[in-house]
Parts: sequence; C-alpha cells; structure tokens
Amino acid sequence: MRRGPGACGCSAEVLSYVLKRLLVALPTLLLVAASVFFLMRLIPGDPATVVLGDAATPEAVADLRIAFGLDRPVLVQFALWIERALGGDLGRSITSGEAVGPLILQRFQVTAAIVFASVGLAVLIAVPLGMLAAWKQNSWGDVAAVAAATFLLSIPSFWLGLIFLLVFGLWLGWVPVVGYVTFAEDFWGALHYIALPVATLALIETGVLIRMARASTVEVLRLDYIAHARAKGVPEWRVLARHAFPNAFAPTLTLIGLIMGSLLGGIAVIETVFTLPGLGRLLVEAIFARDYPVIQGVMLLIAVIYVVVNLVVDLLYPVFDPRVAAG
Amino acid sequence: MRLRASILAIAASLGLSMAAPAGAQEALRIRLNADIRSTDPGVNRDANTDGLVWHVLEGLVALRGDATIAPMLAERVDISADGLTYTFPLRRNVRFHNGQPLTAADVAFAMERYRKRETNWRCRGDLDSAVTRLTAVETPDPHTVVMRLEQPSALFLTMLARPDCGQAGIFHRDSLNPDGSWRAPVGTGPFRLGEWRRGQFVELERFAEYAALSGEPDGLAGNKTPMVDRVRFTIIPDDAAARAALLAGNIDVLPDARTRDLPDLRARPGMSVHSSPSFDLQIILMQTTDPLLRDVRMRRAIALALDVPELVRAVTEGSSRPARAPIPVGSGFHTPAMSEVPARDLAAARRLAQEAGYRGQPIRIVTTRRYEAFYEIAVLAQDMLRDAGINLELEVIEWATQLQRYTRGDYQMMAFGFSARLDPSLSFEMFTGPKATQPRKAWDNPEVQAMLDASMRETDPARRRAIFEAMFRQLMEDVPVVALYSSVTHAVTPASVQGYRSWAVDAPRAWGVRVQR
Repeated sequence: MRRGPGACGCSAEVLSYVLKRLLVALPTLLLVAASVFFLMRLIPGDPATVVLGDAATPEAVADLRIAFGLDRPVLVQFALWIERALGGDLGRSITSGEAVGPLILQRFQVTAAIVFASVGLAVLIAVPLGMLAAWKQNSWGDVAAVAAATFLLSIPSFWLGLIFLLVFGLWLGWVPVVGYVTFAEDFWGALHYIALPVATLALIETGVLIRMARASTVEVLRLDYIAHARAKGVPEWRVLARHAFPNAFAPTLTLIGLIMGSLLGGIAVIETVFTLPGLGRLLVEAIFARDYPVIQGVMLLIAVIYVVVNLVVDLLYPVFDPRVAAG
Repeated sequence: MRLRASILAIAASLGLSMAAPAGAQEALRIRLNADIRSTDPGVNRDANTDGLVWHVLEGLVALRGDATIAPMLAERVDISADGLTYTFPLRRNVRFHNGQPLTAADVAFAMERYRKRETNWRCRGDLDSAVTRLTAVETPDPHTVVMRLEQPSALFLTMLARPDCGQAGIFHRDSLNPDGSWRAPVGTGPFRLGEWRRGQFVELERFAEYAALSGEPDGLAGNKTPMVDRVRFTIIPDDAAARAALLAGNIDVLPDARTRDLPDLRARPGMSVHSSPSFDLQIILMQTTDPLLRDVRMRRAIALALDVPELVRAVTEGSSRPARAPIPVGSGFHTPAMSEVPARDLAAARRLAQEAGYRGQPIRIVTTRRYEAFYEIAVLAQDMLRDAGINLELEVIEWATQLQRYTRGDYQMMAFGFSARLDPSLSFEMFTGPKATQPRKAWDNPEVQAMLDASMRETDPARRRAIFEAMFRQLMEDVPVVALYSSVTHAVTPASVQGYRSWAVDAPRAWGVRVQR
C-alpha cells in the first residue's frame, strides 16, 4: 500500500514530502545523465563526420572534434558537462550552435501543449465510457466500447495522422496541413494547427484508457461495499459516481501518469507527420546527427518529467483513494 | 443559447483564422525537408543550408547550370599568363543588404575569415593544398581584388564557386558579432534573411536594391532578380505530409518529389513537374585492401555480375540513366564512352571469381535505410550477384554509423552516394587517394593519383578531357567502385507558380519565380 502525503491536510507535511521526493530523485537524475552520456559515446558514429559528410578529410574531422571539445578524454568531457549543467548551462547544439537549455524548453512547450490537450480529451472520453461499459458489462454497449478501444489501440499513430491530414486538411480543407503558431501569438490559429495532432493522439490514448477504466471499474463493482450500497437503496448513478469512481479511477490515474511521462518525453511520429517543432522531433534529429549536448539535455528533461509526473500522481492519489492516505 | 452563441463565435474565429494572413499571397512557399544548420556560409552546413545561403550571399564567381564558372560580384576574371594571378575587378553598383557599397576591402575581410583555422570553413584545406594554394589576397584599389596562387590550378575558381563552400560568399562585417563570431548574413544576394524560426521555417525578404545582372538565370549565376516579396522555406520532414501540403495549397514548390508520387501528381490539373539530372553519384564501393576484394579479378567478377541498367531502372523507376563514370552526364567533360555500360556476363563473372579463389564465402555490403536508394541498391546487388554464385550479405546500419565506417574505410562493400561534385577532377577525387592518409578513399593507385593531380593543374580543357578519359579507362580496369547513376531531381509546382526550374544541384532557387494566385 502506498503511503502518500496529505492525510492530515497539512501543507508543511506536503511540502516536506515533495522536497524529500525531489532530493531522492537527484541520484536518479545523475544516473540518467551519466548513462546517457556514456552510452551515446559507445554508439558508433561521430558528430564531426556527420557534419562534414562524404567529403570529411581526417584533418577537417580532427579540427571539428577540437571545436566540439570531443578531443578530450570522455571523463573530462563528462565532468565539464555536469559542472556546467549544475550551473544551468546544458551546452550548445553541435548542429545548430543554439544553447541547449532554451532550445529544449521552447520545443517542450509545443509538445506539452499537445500532450496536455490530448490526454485531457482522452480522459474525458475514456473514463466515463470505460465506467459505463463496466456498469453494463457484457451488453452490446460494453462489447462496442471494448471493440472500439481495441481498434484504437491497434491503429498506428502515423497512419491515423496521415488519414486525418488527407481528410480534414486535403479533402475538406478545414485545417492547414503544415505549420504551427504558439498560443501566445495567435490563440485561435494555434488551436487550428494543433487540432489534428491532438485528435490523433487523443484517439490513440482513448483506447488504452477505456480498457483500464473498464477493467478497474469491473473489479470495484464486484466488491462487497458496492453490493452494500446497492442493498441500502443508494441510486445507481450515485453508486457509480460516489462509491465506484474514486476507487476505480486510482489505477487509471497511475496509467495517466505513465502516459503523460511517455508522451511528454516526445511524440516524434506525430510531430513529424504534422510538422510540429516539438521535443520528440528534436531528439530524433539529434540522435541521427549525434548531437550529444541536445540528446543529453533532452534525456535529462525526460527524466525530470518522469520524476515530476510520478510525484504529482502520488500527491493526487489520496484525493481519489483515501485508503492510501489512511494506510 | 449562450453556449450556442459561443460555439458560433468559435467557429467564426476558426473560419477567420483559416483565411491566409494579409500579405501572405505575395510569398513563395517552398518545402524544406529539414531545418538549416546555420547561416554561416560553408561552415556549419548541409545541402539545405547551402541552398538557403545562396539566396542571401554571393561570391566573386558563381556556378552556371552546366557547372562552368561565371563572374558574379566580379565584373570579370583576368588570369595572368602563368596562371598564378587572378584579378577580380568588382561590379560598381553592388550594395550590401545594409545599404553599404561592396568594396575590395569587404572581399579581403571575408576571405581572411574563411582562411582562418578557427573559422572551420569547409574549403580552407582545399585552398591550402598541394594542388591549390592561395598565398595572398590583395586590394590594389577599392574596386579590385587580386588573388595569388603558388602554382596554376584548374580548380581555383571552382573552389570559390562551390555551394558547399558557401560560394566563398562575400559578407559585410556587420554579419559578425564584436567577438568575431557569426551573427547573421549581411550579403549582396537577391534576398535578405528575414525570420528563422527553428524547426518551422526560414523566411527571406526581397532585397529591393539588388543589382541584378542582365540576361537569363543560369545556375547560381546570371540574372537573379527576385520576383516575390517573400520566400518562406517551410520545414516538412515527412514526404507524404509534404505532398499533402502541396495539394492542399499550403506550399507552392515541392522541390524534391518522390519518384513514386510523380504519376499521380502529373495527372492532377495544373501541376507541373520539373526534372533535372543531378551532379551527385550513386555508387558501390569495394575495399581494395580486403583479403578477398584485393584481387582485381574478384572485383571485376562483381561488376560483371551486376545488371546495372536493370538495377538503375528498378531503383529510380526509370528516371535516371545508368552511367559507369563518375563525371555526370550534364558535365561538359562527359563523353559518350562514359555512358556505355558493359553487358552483364554471368559466365565471365563466375570464371573470374573462381580464378580469384572465391569459394562462396560471404561478402558483406554495408547499407542504410535512411536513404532508400542505398538499401535498394544493396538488395538488388545481392540478388544479381547470387546468379553468379557470389554470396552477398546485407549489413543494414544507421546512417551516422555508415558514414563513420565509410570515413574509416571499414567495409568490404558499401552502397553509397556522393553529393554533387562540380568539376571532373573533384568527381574522381571523391574516391581516389592514398588510403594510408585518407582511409575513406576507395581507389589507391599512384599512377591515377598522378593523373588526378595533373588534371587539377592543367587549365587547357582539351588536355584535361584526355586525362579524364585515361582515368576512366583505368577505372574500368581496376574496378575499385561500380558507379551506377546520377539521380534526377523532380520538383512539382501548381499552376500559380511560373518560372521555377530544377537544376543540377539538389536545392531550390527562388529568384526568377513568380506566384500568381
């Protein structure tokens, strides 16, 4: 049984819990940083060779490696990188020369906007649908919901994205096929550009969440306290909303946390199909180019995302399942 | 009721934002398959970067469509009788994007930066080599630049005009930060840099005071008058999305359409396809130091077992012609003999392989799926060589790894492609050289190296042609590589675009192009 904060509602306790969790996460982040740093250098392929292409002379490669600081011993490179990273400087991109910190934050904003919108939409669709399917287990509605979830799970995201582009961008002309603006620049324009990627991602994730919401609700509806509530004559909607939902949603919340962590770390395929300048595309391009500083920075951010998302999920857990706090 | 009104308001707003922003109709929108790396000419670059930079910066000389060299910022080029002194009188009416006139001091300033080691200019080594050594850049008066070489070189002007060298583009000193690092290009080109939104687009603005040459556009030379107010290079990595963007009217030029999409695009009303042979080269490399492939009979057996015309037809869906010489068909130095492909001869291949002591052991060919053509070449070669009893095994690796193995010469065979080379000497040089110092070179033959060096020094075209013919004959004898074909670039534009043309270097040109929607 998890032991979460918030049992006493005391904000000092919550704060101390959060700080403790973040402190405990530091070795994890250091481990991730070290693993990524050394693993990337074990992979064949050299940034200088990629930059110079098929005309790379040994002298030009050597010059560029010096310029990138790759001529130094790997341990020295790592120590320098860690030292700068602790000071908030994640270095500069080998391919574009941009400062890595601002670059990944800029790209993360694009990814985050799409992920939050699509996961929010998916939760709004999937959780009620999954619960209703469980409530009417084995009915035609349940079968239809499970079939729809399985279908959505089976669709590759790039394929669905391309179909959406074809139908809504090309045939109907409702949305532009390429482009992106931020919400700060043009709110409605931004909605316009992210509509298709959000719809694509939301549909895919809806499939996963319907199955989880349904399974956990089926399990909860079999418990004695639900039978007891029904025997007391509590209305069925209240049984579902008041008694079944909090317990049934808790496992779904964990899944949402995992989904958020995984998607915030990059939705490269969606970003490529919809030409969005997000974190996933940045990471994939950086890996192809062996752009070490960008890869290290993005992976570190992904590790931070997982730590934060898990922490948020743990903090939210007692809200839905009081047993966690009580335990 | 309020909800309905809100929905209608949202719908109306969406409808409004669907309309193009004011002024957008004046922009030419071109697909770019990846972001540019920088705006620093010939330094942190790739083909997209070169293609963007040549809209903004110009050099003293420029490349014509047939890979010959024409004056650009220079009025003409005067070469001394001994071939050691190049005099470039500058055009008088040229201004930088900041309004300053072009002077010889600007040229000297730019060349000085290129020649500094810390600049990491791609072509610094080429202008400081045994064949071509630039010893001085002088400015006898504000409108004349003199460059001196250590010895005559047939390649000097080509080096200055090469797109991958940033055309040795002349920039104003305002392009640099106070510490000497690159800030943004202030050049003399037909467009000036507008906004670069990384990962999304690069926008150029028409340079109203551009001093265009008269005549027609020709490669990167000739008349480069900008016809549109803005050019937006929109970054669309995915080919299918790029095609959809063209059809939806979100871009005006798809400069690199896939061959497989052409029948459908041609069938659509108003769409025009602009095809042009490129100066690149798709090739199979063989490692001549490998215990098995060291024997020339084994390499010849492999070459004879390949049905090159069929392989090229299958990989390019009939759009490219097979060629066994590295000199592209569009070059003035390409001869008919270089297009003749020896017939496939399986019996001879089997016999030669047997004489070389081949006993069916596997030969590994390195390839990648990053460039589909490389993979298809390897698969087809495997199938064709099987007919001659030669056992080829595919080693499919990631592109950066393949590039590193190419650079180290770490392969038995490799399906590979060379980017465009603009001089026949460079076409041979890309795979010719001493392996001891340059392991990436496939052809290490001292006699050929001597011929190559001679071709770089010789300035008489007829004598150069004779050298290239001799090198080609030797190439067919030694078979360190099997040259296959130069690819064809297919651009597609809708009816609203006029004046767009593909050309030998694989990146678009926006000058001389109109959009009338």
